[in-house]
Parts: sequence; C-alpha cells; structure tokens
Amino acid sequence: MRELELYFGPQHLGMVGNFSITLKVEGDRILEAQANPGYLHRGFEKLMEYRTWIQNFPMVCRINVVEPDSMEMIYAMAVEKLAGIEVPERANYVRSIYLELARVGSHLFGLWAYANMLGFDTVAQWAMYHRDLVLDLFEELTGGRVYHIYIWPGGVRRDFPPGFKEKVVNTLHSIGGCVPDYDATFFNNRLFYERANGIGKITQEQAKQWGATGQTLRATGMPYDIRKAEPYAAYDKVDWDVPTREDGDAYSRVWVIRDEMIESVHMIFKLLDVMPEGSVYNRVPNPFKWKIPKGEAYVRCESSRGELGLYMVSNGDDKPYRVHFRTPSYPNGLIILEKLLKNASIADVGNIMISLYVVAPEIDR
Amino acid sequence: MNNSLRQKLEATFKDIQVSIPEDSKITITAESDSVPAILRFLKDAGFDHLALLSAVDWIEDDCFELCFILTSYMQNDDEVTGRQRLHIILKTRIPREKPQFKTVIGIFPNAEPYEREIHELFGINFEGHPRLTPLLLEREYEIPPFRKDFDTRKYVKDLFDNIPFVEIEEK
Repeated sequence: MRELELYFGPQHLGMVGNFSITLKVEGDRILEAQANPGYLHRGFEKLMEYRTWIQNFPMVCRINVVEPDSMEMIYAMAVEKLAGIEVPERANYVRSIYLELARVGSHLFGLWAYANMLGFDTVAQWAMYHRDLVLDLFEELTGGRVYHIYIWPGGVRRDFPPGFKEKVVNTLHSIGGCVPDYDATFFNNRLFYERANGIGKITQEQAKQWGATGQTLRATGMPYDIRKAEPYAAYDKVDWDVPTREDGDAYSRVWVIRDEMIESVHMIFKLLDVMPEGSVYNRVPNPFKWKIPKGEAYVRCESSRGELGLYMVSNGDDKPYRVHFRTPSYPNGLIILEKLLKNASIADVGNIMISLYVVAPEIDR
Repeated sequence: MNNSLRQKLEATFKDIQVSIPEDSKITITAESDSVPAILRFLKDAGFDHLALLSAVDWIEDDCFELCFILTSYMQNDDEVTGRQRLHIILKTRIPREKPQFKTVIGIFPNAEPYEREIHELFGINFEGHPRLTPLLLEREYEIPPFRKDFDTRKYVKDLFDNIPFVEIEEK
C-alpha cells in the first residue's frame, strides 16, 4: 500500500488545542508520528527575565490556560524559597483547598475534552457545566474566573469571604451527586470501554524511562505523587489516598482521573474541617523594591497533569536571571505520544493524545 | 543518606564538588567530560528520573551552564520514603565559544526534547543527537533568542517598526 504523509492538526476535528502531529501512514496504520509544538510559544521564560519579581505574577498563570493555579503556586514557592519568606499556617490550608478546587475544575475540563472527542456530547456538556460551578467559586474568592493571581509570596491575596465555606461544600455536593450519572453514561459505559480499553498501552518500565509523571505513571500502578513525596502547603495535614490502576491504557488513565477528582473533593472537606483561624498573609517588604538574594532553586508541585517543576536562578537583582518550567505535558506530548502512536490507527490519534492529557500551551510556554 | 551518597560520589569521581545546601538537596558541580559517567552512576544509585535539563547563560563568566535535575521514582510500589524528597542538581559549565556537549539520550531517553529545545534557544550543539531540528520557534535568528545578548525589545522594534503603515482611504 502507498505511504502517505498526513497532517493532523492544528485545524483538525480530532485535535483539541494548538498542537499538530505529522503522521506517516500506510492505509489506516501509522508508521511514524512527529509531534510539532510551538503554535503557542510566547517566550514566557525570556519575557520574565525583563520583568521584576512581582510583575511576573500576573504572567506565570497564563502559561497553562487550563490550570493556571499550580503555576502561581510554584512561582510563589520558588520566590519564597529564594527570599526566605514564611507563610502563615492558615494560608497553607487555603492554598491546598484552592489548588484542589483547581484540580477538580481542570479534570472536569479534561473530561469535557475527552468525552467530546469520543462523541459523548451529553457527558461533555455536564462536565463543562460543573466546571462552570467551580469557576463561580473562584470568581467569588478571587474576582477572576480563569486567571486568579491569588497565591502570592507570603500567603494568599485575601481570606475566604463570609459564607464561602458553605458554598464550597454545597457546590461540591451537587457535583458529587452526579457521579452515579457520570458512571452510568461514561465511565462504566460499554461504548466507552470498547473505545478506550487497550488503547495507548504503556508499561511501568516505559513510563519511567520516558519521564512520565501524573496519571500516565499512576495508571501503570505506581502511586507516585509529589503531594505525598514532597508535601507542600497543607497536604501532609490530612489523610488521603493516591488512586492508581494497573493496566496503563487510556481506560485506566481516565479512571485514575475520575478517582482523583473524588479524592480531591474528600480532601477539600477534610481540610475545611481542620482549617485553623488566623491571618492568611504575612506582611512582606514593599514588593516593588524587591531584590532577591543570589541563588538557585528547584521546586515542584503536583499539578493536575503530573510533576510541575520550576528551576529559578537569581543573581541578586530585581529581576529573575533565568526561569525554566518543567511541565508534565512536555514528556507526555513530545516523547510518549510519538512512541504510542506507532502502529496505532488514525481513528485513535485524538483518543491517545487526550488520554495522555496533553495541553499544548504548557509545552510551548 | 545525603552524606553517604556524598562520600561515594567523592570517592568515585575526583574533580567534582558536592555540596548539601539544604536537607533534601544535593548540588554537584563537575567538568563537562565526566558528566555522562556521573549521570550513569546516579541512575544506578536509584535516581532514575531526569526531571529537567536546563541551561543558563552566564555571559559575564563567558560560559553556559547545563543543569540536570534528578529525582527518583518509587522503588517498591507502595511506599514513599525520604528518597523521593531528595533532588540532585548536577551542573557543568561549557565555554560560550562553540558550545558543544555530548548527548545523554543513551542514559536518559527523555532528555531528547530538552536537548532539542536548548539547541534551539541557546545554540548549544549536542553531539550524537538524532534530530536537532527546530522545536518551538518559527523564524531564523542570528543569535539564539534565549542568550543574554539577544535583546527581545530591540528585536521586536526592528521587526515590527519596519512594517509600513497602510493608508486606508475614506469612502
């Protein structure tokens, strides 16, 4: 049969996001795949070298459109580590609750993308609606729906408004009440099982070799989670589990995402119960006049996709000397995707890509 | 564990400096020739996750610094130990004139896109890399854009100010 080159994305119905894959196909079978990132390269890391420490705060969250909150967290963590800023106890709890809400919102968005791509439109609309409820919470807490700029060095920008705790509980209960519906129509649906089972299979050894973290690794049976491995914020204050699966295929990855959402909701309830009173912000010196001591730091946190790291170098100036983000989609989209697409069929390209949870803006930065 | 690893490293490799700035962090500075051997040693010692490969342009010292950040996956499937907290930063300096470095794909296959990105943004050539093709950028640049002597603001001014104005006629 004749060999053809096929451009999959960025203008393609099966492609979600600004990303493209060049496929070499023979009939329906893919011989070779090449991932092409860069459609959303804005050069953030270079632009950050031109801006003062505090001016970078509204910028970092824009790196990942789907989940900006972990980006804020990691930048705040790096600045706090380099400058030696302390965070009050209550702020740690507020940060954890906020990041878990962001995880639920991000997973619902991911569920929308996946269900939509597979043709489960009803489930996709439900997920989008429920994500909107989470965004309403963010709007009340921070004033912004998508970009919040809420976590600052020294704490968070403001405390919970009156009645916010009850609203979080009510919203999460109403989302949680729909889990049986989600299960019946999507996760336990035979159509979905047939479509996702055995697709994009990866072994634990391969996952380790290719630098996978997050769901891709946890779906192969390793409960590796930065929140457990190197606890930050208040994740070591409450008891929670890391959901895993054994098979390493698309079906397992989606189930890990589902279980993680439920675990996050339980974690938020637990954190709300034990949250101490007090201030959420330590007064820091005037941020417009910051000069951060010379040094380097690598900090990491668990974003909704895996290990999110930040390597930051300061040369004692009022601007960062070098920043480099280690984003979880980077190995997923540039290595694992290429390897898994070999010998797959064209109909499964979008399926494999979204089950790996690839988010293009995170790769391009 | 930090100190025993430090002793082992210092016993095996002669020309390296090991420091422990914090409890869960080890910084190693080494000559560029011995980096592959050190990476292999660390991988065998259980640091099997190359989290990040980064480069810094120290223009005043006239060199680039490559920075490998290593952490470890879990060994037994069900428990987190102090080992997962630990991360190692391995740094090496290479001259700014004709920057060359040997690829580490043979040791850590996931270094491939990182090396490609550093080649594109810093102009560091990785010998033995199978495809050093452009990754993120769209245009050709005289100076690789992440080097410190590349002025983003000047570049933007030069590029966009040269576009002539378009006269729109009134109807």
